[in-house]
Amino acid sequence: MSQASAIPRISLTWLLVAQVLVIIPHLSHLPLWVIGLWLGSAAWRVQIFRMRARYPNAWAKGGLMLAAALGVFLSRGSLIGLDAGVVLLVAAFVLKLLEMRTRRDALVLVFLGFFVVVTAYLFDDSMLMAFYSLLPVTALLAALIGLQQSNLATQPWPTVRLAGGMMLQALPVMLLLFVFFPRMGPLWSLPVPNDKATSGLSDSMTPADIADLSRSAALAFRASFNGETPPRSELYWRALTFDRFDGRRWSQSDYAEFAPAAQWQKQGEPVSYSIVMQPSSQRWLFALDVAETTLEQTRQMSDFRLQRRQPVDRSLIYQATSWPQALRETQPSTESLRRALQLPEQGEPRSRAWAEQLKRDYPQPEQLVQAMLSHFNQQPFAYTLRPPALGQNNIDDFLFETRSGFCAHYAGAMTYVLRAAGIPARVVAGYQGGEYNPAGNYVQVRQFDAHAWVEYWQSGRGWVSVDPTFQVAPERIESGLEDALSGEQTFLEDSPFSPLRYRNLSWLNELRLAWDNINYGWQRWVLGYQSQQQLEFLQRWLGRVDAQTLVMGLVGGGGLLLGLLALWLFKPWQRERDPQQRVFQRFERLLARHGVTRQPGEGPRDYAARAALQLPAQAQAIQAFALAFEAQRYAGQATSVAELHLCLRALRLSLPWRLTRLES
Amino acid sequence: MRAKLDSVLEAVNQVLLGKEQQVRLALTCLLAEGHLLIEDLPGMGKTTLSHTLAKVLGLSFQRIQFTSDLLPGDILGTSVFDKDTGQFVFHPGPIFAELVLADEINRATPKSQSALLEAMEEGQVTIEGATRPLPQPFFVIATQNPVSQGGTFALPESQLDRFMMRLSLGYPGKAAEKALLLGDSRRSLLPHLPAVLNHSELARVQAEIPKVRASDALVDYVLRLVDATRTQPQFAWGLSPRASLALLAAARAWAFLAGRDYVIPEDVQAVLPAVVGHRLRERADPAGHGGGSLVQWLLREVPAL
Repeated sequence: MSQASAIPRISLTWLLVAQVLVIIPHLSHLPLWVIGLWLGSAAWRVQIFRMRARYPNAWAKGGLMLAAALGVFLSRGSLIGLDAGVVLLVAAFVLKLLEMRTRRDALVLVFLGFFVVVTAYLFDDSMLMAFYSLLPVTALLAALIGLQQSNLATQPWPTVRLAGGMMLQALPVMLLLFVFFPRMGPLWSLPVPNDKATSGLSDSMTPADIADLSRSAALAFRASFNGETPPRSELYWRALTFDRFDGRRWSQSDYAEFAPAAQWQKQGEPVSYSIVMQPSSQRWLFALDVAETTLEQTRQMSDFRLQRRQPVDRSLIYQATSWPQALRETQPSTESLRRALQLPEQGEPRSRAWAEQLKRDYPQPEQLVQAMLSHFNQQPFAYTLRPPALGQNNIDDFLFETRSGFCAHYAGAMTYVLRAAGIPARVVAGYQGGEYNPAGNYVQVRQFDAHAWVEYWQSGRGWVSVDPTFQVAPERIESGLEDALSGEQTFLEDSPFSPLRYRNLSWLNELRLAWDNINYGWQRWVLGYQSQQQLEFLQRWLGRVDAQTLVMGLVGGGGLLLGLLALWLFKPWQRERDPQQRVFQRFERLLARHGVTRQPGEGPRDYAARAALQLPAQAQAIQAFALAFEAQRYAGQATSVAELHLCLRALRLSLPWRLTRLES
Repeated sequence: MRAKLDSVLEAVNQVLLGKEQQVRLALTCLLAEGHLLIEDLPGMGKTTLSHTLAKVLGLSFQRIQFTSDLLPGDILGTSVFDKDTGQFVFHPGPIFAELVLADEINRATPKSQSALLEAMEEGQVTIEGATRPLPQPFFVIATQNPVSQGGTFALPESQLDRFMMRLSLGYPGKAAEKALLLGDSRRSLLPHLPAVLNHSELARVQAEIPKVRASDALVDYVLRLVDATRTQPQFAWGLSPRASLALLAAARAWAFLAGRDYVIPEDVQAVLPAVVGHRLRERADPAGHGGGSLVQWLLREVPAL
């Protein structure tokens, strides 16, 4: 190892610091053995630096590499895929320490480090993470600077100050690029890491699923309304509908995927809002009834939900406009009505009997629904997240025995009875309500706001939504799950430290809302600033632009900037004006690249003689140029500079090609 | 014509062994119509050089040994009463020769020194009211002994400026000295030296030299050199315009000797130490002999292009 390519002390220091900072965000999902590997490698590398240990030999390195690969395979079940890939990358990042002998190796490590910093965003793209990643990036920059410093430098702080300064200088460029750089779609789709596969509504429902969701305080989406935020009781966020029941589980029939969009009629005042949705790994979006959106590749399905072509695997921002009083499908297809009446062949005899009786008593669907609702209201039904176990005929048991449950029970049971009474009906799943944040004037909806309700079809009015839960626990609708459960302490019982549990502490609550507001801004303005938002934003300021003009503008602007920078650096106005002199300077530069640098006081003839001595093979060409130059410059021969160029060209051709200066 | 100049050099070099560069500079100085100051220890061949040059160029030669009791009249000449004609008849002094060797010039009093130096500058002498022209061509080669300074009158800077060049011969090389020791006495060679140039040829050469082309670019270099001596802090004072004229004239003669009809920066650099070395002083040591290192600085740092 030559001294020139050894890794300077400061660089090593900052590399080790940077490695700590880079790996910290990954700690939550790295297997323990990788952390052990890391600490061991770092200690080994430090000992190597202190000359207490030696570099591992090829066998040891090969063994470690294989062991790491095997470890990844054993702990992640694969070597490919995002999760395993990141673990493998971190393992490589750590092991590279052990073969970091020269500056070149250190450079590899630094660039690997930058890459690992980026992969952390796959697991967490919050604002805190973004600001945190400035730290490892600064440390990596410091390591990069340290690589260029002398081995004699011992103070690490000036290096990191320089790196910080460079970060600050890069900031305006970063902001400009953020605003203007065109967003390109990914070249390949990235699978979502396992532990990011979020909880949320799925495409089938048992009561237990909703109960699970109600234990989670994870964010589902945030919505801000243009204008007045409607009252909580009107915020029924539709996600999807379930029209198939197998006696246990409500699910979505395949038909809904393929059926043509249903016909509907706008009526009443529209409500428009924008939604920033957390990744759900599902394709449906959330909207109030009946919604239209400008989002690309999204359409309204036959059950009035909005669905995107690809799953939402990163946060998504979209605008929607809803007509809550719209008439939905007043002339339905027979197929969709047939599906809204589907029931298992048998089972639930008491419910079916009750349905028959209701049908006899109330021939009008409206009256029948009203009767059911008042039944729920007047009979001793209870709202609880801990319902007693139900038997084989779970709807019968729920309606006539236990009489306690939550939205999924009520919606499922009501739909069942309506269908049994010959009224087309289906379960709608989604979210209800949400917490209003006065600081940011938006509503945030969490997983525990998951809700299920009913819609039935009536000739002339189309589909009508009703919520049986409202009859049982109106506080669930009007003020949220926590109030509805105030008697039984089941609200977020698994997460005792969630700030949501301490909403009665007003300062804590305000702090939480303010923090959430900041995060919402981050989501909306930073993460949500994707191609469509970018175009809209730029169009607002710059008039009509499309992606093409944007790219051209960016390239043009960048070119202009670089051009100005080049002007400032090269100062062409200070360039030699004398054409002979200019050619001679090129001659000098050419020879300097081959190790013959002219001293300031050296005349052309002496210089050429010296160069000819050093480059005997080119002596003739060098002398020819020098003579031609002398003749023009001093002997006053009125030949053109072109002749000098010819001589120079001949010389250049006779010399081997070099781009960089030869060490002389 | 150049062939003749080459044979002049050759002839001088046969007498003065191993001093090609100094001989060439001395000839340059004479061709450029300048006066030469040779500063060296005794016995280094100062007199031989002057004598040989005179002989080879076909010039009449006079030697004046400067001593502290030397009077201006001893140099210039005096009028003596001729009792036959009853008139004062002017007896020209040794200065009325084409090549005058002023040996150990710093031994004479300033009064005598200035008599010589005025003659050098004017090309004529005024004695007892009558102005008498000196012969054409007229060269002065003065010598100085830098070592034994007791009882000497160092030439002031203004006087030094009148010499186009100052040379120092230095010890001969080993081979040259061996040849010197083995060969005939140098002085005995002198009488047999033929004159290579006659007066008219010398005049023609001297007339050719101002025609040697000095391009703009070259004059710019000379200006840069002169300007550096005037602006850089290490110089006690800058070069006079007389010095820059001398530099260019010497460079022209040097180029002519090299067989070129144009001057290149290397010509200027070749004559620079001889032409400006005695005119420069270091600011830190204005009385000393700092010229040499200053000249090296000029050669090294002033851009030649």
